[in-house]
Amino acid sequence: MDNIRNFCIIAHIDHGKSTLADRILELTGVLHTTTNAQVLDSMDLERERGITIKAKSVRMPYKSKDGQDYILDLIDTPGHADFNYEVSRSLKACEGAVLLVDASQGVEAQTIANAYLAVDAGLEIIPVINKIDLPNAMIDECRQQLEDTLGLPGKQALLVSAKDGTGVPELLEAIVTLVPPPKGRVDEPLQCLIFDSFYDVYRGVIPHVRVFQGSLRHGDRIMIKSTSEVYEVDEVGYFTPKLTPCEVLSAGEVGYVGATIKNVGAIHVGDTLISPEHPETPEIPGFRRSQPMVFCGIYPINTNDYGRLTAALEKFQLNDSSIVYEKESSAALGHGYRLGFMGMLHMEITMERLKREYGQELVATMPSVVYKVFTTVGEDLYIDNPSRFPDPTRIDHIEEPLIRLRVIVPNEFVGPIMELSDSKRAKLVAMEHPDRRRALLTYEFPLAEMITGYYDKLKSVSRGYASMDYDFLGYRGGDFVKVDILVKENQVDALSFISVRDSAMPRARVLIHRLRKLIPRHLFEIPLQAAIGSKVIAREDIAPLRKDVLAKCYGGDITRKRKLLEKQAEGKKKMKMVGSVEVPQEAFLLLLKMEE
Amino acid sequence: MRGLYIHIPFCVRKCSYCDFYSLPGRQDRIKPYVSAVITEARAYAGLSFHTLYLGGGTPSLLGAEQLKNLIGGLRETFDLGGLVEATVEVNPESATPGFLDAAMDAGINRVSLGVQSLSDCELESVGRVHTAARAIDAMTLSRNLGFTSLSADLIIGLPGQTWNTLSAALETLVRLGINHLSVYCLALEEGTPLAQRPLGNLPSDDTQAELFELARAFLIGQGFIHYEISNFARKDHECLHNLNYWRGGEYLGLGPAAASHLQGRRSRNRPTLDAYVENPTGQVEYVETLGGEEKAAEEAMLRLRLLVEGIDPGVLSGRFSPATIETLVSRLDDMVMRGMLEFDNSRYVLPASRILTSNEIFREVLGTGTCGVPGGRHCEV
Repeated sequence: MDNIRNFCIIAHIDHGKSTLADRILELTGVLHTTTNAQVLDSMDLERERGITIKAKSVRMPYKSKDGQDYILDLIDTPGHADFNYEVSRSLKACEGAVLLVDASQGVEAQTIANAYLAVDAGLEIIPVINKIDLPNAMIDECRQQLEDTLGLPGKQALLVSAKDGTGVPELLEAIVTLVPPPKGRVDEPLQCLIFDSFYDVYRGVIPHVRVFQGSLRHGDRIMIKSTSEVYEVDEVGYFTPKLTPCEVLSAGEVGYVGATIKNVGAIHVGDTLISPEHPETPEIPGFRRSQPMVFCGIYPINTNDYGRLTAALEKFQLNDSSIVYEKESSAALGHGYRLGFMGMLHMEITMERLKREYGQELVATMPSVVYKVFTTVGEDLYIDNPSRFPDPTRIDHIEEPLIRLRVIVPNEFVGPIMELSDSKRAKLVAMEHPDRRRALLTYEFPLAEMITGYYDKLKSVSRGYASMDYDFLGYRGGDFVKVDILVKENQVDALSFISVRDSAMPRARVLIHRLRKLIPRHLFEIPLQAAIGSKVIAREDIAPLRKDVLAKCYGGDITRKRKLLEKQAEGKKKMKMVGSVEVPQEAFLLLLKMEE
Repeated sequence: MRGLYIHIPFCVRKCSYCDFYSLPGRQDRIKPYVSAVITEARAYAGLSFHTLYLGGGTPSLLGAEQLKNLIGGLRETFDLGGLVEATVEVNPESATPGFLDAAMDAGINRVSLGVQSLSDCELESVGRVHTAARAIDAMTLSRNLGFTSLSADLIIGLPGQTWNTLSAALETLVRLGINHLSVYCLALEEGTPLAQRPLGNLPSDDTQAELFELARAFLIGQGFIHYEISNFARKDHECLHNLNYWRGGEYLGLGPAAASHLQGRRSRNRPTLDAYVENPTGQVEYVETLGGEEKAAEEAMLRLRLLVEGIDPGVLSGRFSPATIETLVSRLDDMVMRGMLEFDNSRYVLPASRILTSNEIFREVLGTGTCGVPGGRHCEV
């Protein structure tokens, strides 16, 4: 066990984490030089977006300079703030972290956030400056930033070019020397953390585990601490990155367990596996299970697909346990689910993955944060769906979630960023300068403003130079109202939204105006209204359709005309009925894009 | 009742809104084309017809001689002894005394003039070849030559059109003695030059609807009957050939792009002149034989276009078995309950208020209403 090193690489997006992982795999002989780069990013979506979503691990043999044999286990981590949850559980399986900084970019917002997480997890941090081959590499500035913003020994930072391999052998030596070996005894009862899992059609749920004490082998009985369910192990092994069976997984090792767990809901990431003979073995503590912060409803386009959606979500959660969902039904959209996400990117990626991996066509409603509603009778309710807000007369006051937002941006964009943030009700709490040319702005920021397109705007006003990261801060009171949307006197629950009172009217006007363009004209007039309680704050009317008639059926070509009518009827089947009004599916996506 | 339609796919110039099959500048092919039509006709030799309709394109481009050859050939091939109506579409610029004389001699008894508008600006804006004055001359000439059944086409929604120009046209046409008028709303058909480059001063759909309502009121005031969605006629001057279409009757269409309905089977020829002249009998590109219920629904949809005649349940049950029309009739009854149809004088008819918004009603009659369920009720979620 003294020769095992479990480590991860943490970095801001695009700072070269996956490329470095490839070089390490090549150098240890696990991977032969390949044209299809970035082995750990196996999901298509990850490669397309250039970000790593799912944590995975790879075991590598390594012979150090002093001739000793080591086992290195690299645990991959996602880089974006939304995936902190996955980062934190991956960190839990390691003893050390390589903190990677792009020499041409310097310390960015996610560098800071990830470094804090690693410090909190008690990991040994090895600072590394990457991309030193670039002509605009600023090695000295990076060293200084590591010292100033993170308190790390910047002077000792290793210099690497993951692209051409420079410095990577030295990095492997440093991992062996600096990262402590895992602790924990093989002769103690089993204690094992599930830090990830996936579903195999033939073998059921396959948990990814880190053994903290004891050992696991074929034929062992294991118990899930939280549920006391017992299974028999039919295979143990590790990742190379393919699944490679082995005799035993002992304390300190990372690998997988096959135990024919067919029920997708039986295993949760973060659970502890113990031996049924020693049910008193404690859980592995300190595993941070963060709460989802953004919610939206998803509905199958075709109501008959509800069963398929249910099955897809069950499997999906196994792969991404940070997703929470529960049944929801909407008068406008039928039966669906309300999903909770770590953030907007998480939501977007989840929707994409659901569509791709499970072939589901979905309608998503506008995202909402979780409001804390205090009622006049003294309840405090967490409400993640505007349509479930209590009647205004029952509400004493409302609080909204706040985040601590860190933005790093070149000095020349500080003005526009401040202006943008002010318009989003942000409160600047600190402004620092990690180096001469950049500022680090720290804000108290309403999460609700974040989910309505702040990130995209941040990128555009800073011409792509700004980086940001955030963590949850707490709740703060404010003057909020629920705005309902009425289509011909019928309330459309899926379009209700919560707003600060002052901006309710302008938002409602934009929404109503767009809705008017989306809903086709009908034979009758359709008033579109936005209302707070019974008070209408915006209204537009869709004038009745006066002409919808087939002109001449010339020369007796009846078939073509009949087909035209049939095609129209087909199109109408895709509409959702709100009272007597046919509303196209796109209308429900409207608020998502509203602030753009 | 059986109709014979001959498509004449030649034009001097293509109008910018037109998506019918017709070719400008191919008049050199008229002679072989007429022979080809006769050849196609021979495949149906011996059939009898009660109406004949020469449509286009521009049938008046045939000229006197080819018109004579065409109708002569048809008379040799078919039994036209019972012909009660024979229409030729005439464009003002080719309405020569020679052609109209020849038409009269050949037994044509109805002239349908492609007037479209009596404003030179409007005519020019969509690429019509003729002027308003030429159209008026053609009308006068036809009447003076002894044609007693005179029809004109008008388009609603031409660029720059207002009630001023439209009402002036209507008054002139009525004064000139027409007894039939087809009024079509301009539609931007996919692929036409007008749809690709719509003119800025095109009246909106709402304006079209307004103009149509005004025109309808004017014509009814003048004693015309609004007998079909797009057609007005003085009593006993309805177009029998077209009535036969709406009544689900049989017809044979000859020529490229022509459609036929014989023995319950609908078919259509390929729209290619050259291939047709080469092989006139091998051009069928589409055939459809609907099942009983669909067929009845289709006929009901067509008959509802006849605003006065509508659907007589007695006539329907004479043409289809009771089992075939059972769901259709209950659907129609249901639509009466919901105000989408009226039951008047023991006939189902389209309410006057729904003439211009009849597509929804037709969709339901076809049984392809919002949910595709018989009865076509909306699906509430």
